[in-house]
Amino acid sequence: MITAQALYIGFFGLASVWFGIVVFRTFSMVRSALALLFSQTALGAMFLSMQAEFLGVLQIMMMATEMSIMAIFMVMFMMDPGGLGKMDMTHQKRLSLVAGIVSFVAAVAVAVFVDWGPVASVAPDAEQQVVDLGLELLGRSMLIFETAGITILTAMIAATAVAIPPVKRNPLKGTANHEH
Amino acid sequence: MSIELLLALITGAALFGVGVYGALSQTNLVMIMMGIELILAGAMVNLVAFWRYLHPDNPAGQMFVLIVMTVMAIEMTVGFGVAIARFRAKGSVEMEEATDLKG
Repeated sequence: MITAQALYIGFFGLASVWFGIVVFRTFSMVRSALALLFSQTALGAMFLSMQAEFLGVLQIMMMATEMSIMAIFMVMFMMDPGGLGKMDMTHQKRLSLVAGIVSFVAAVAVAVFVDWGPVASVAPDAEQQVVDLGLELLGRSMLIFETAGITILTAMIAATAVAIPPVKRNPLKGTANHEH
Repeated sequence: MSIELLLALITGAALFGVGVYGALSQTNLVMIMMGIELILAGAMVNLVAFWRYLHPDNPAGQMFVLIVMTVMAIEMTVGFGVAIARFRAKGSVEMEEATDLKG
């Protein structure tokens, strides 16, 4: 029987995949970033439909900021961010298409043919989920949680170190300093 | 198997396939990163669906989703760091031109 939850999951899933396809079909990089934002937001709505309230809201908030930053970088780095010149920026399209279709079919085959066991009809309410997740984060999964935090910090420091311009030493100035 | 779980898994598979196509076909570094984001999004849908329909009483399922979100953030951070360095050095983030390490 098709439930309202199944309808919502199907609708938001379809929207997410459609906007995911639009990301690679438009010539405008800004539109690509916005399409990815809509795709991820539809995914967040899908999480909400699956009663994962905390994860759904987190997904929408995180992706809104992440994709806005991505759009800014697109404008910064692209010669033609609006896509007015319709410049083609693809290569090995046939191979990529085959790889994408094969991976999709393989994943669907696994989803359909594997026996996933009994399905739970009810999930804990939103408040209980947050309590359980908080206890999980600060209990059994604390080491993983802390490792994730440290890894993000390390990535931020590494990215900043890579991104700052190299210091140009002036040999003449160095010689002058040495003479003094 | 419930129709809801099947729909979620098919959505995850489709996002994964679209992401693989994007990551392999694009020449711009930021567009490649968008493909990888879609691949990770596909994994995330599966994790949420598995938690909700197979083990809703085990919060470790949600923990996995948080880890995937962390990986997404790290990928963006490092990717943009590399993009800035590449743009400063070569004036472009086109990966077709990145043949410096080619043997």
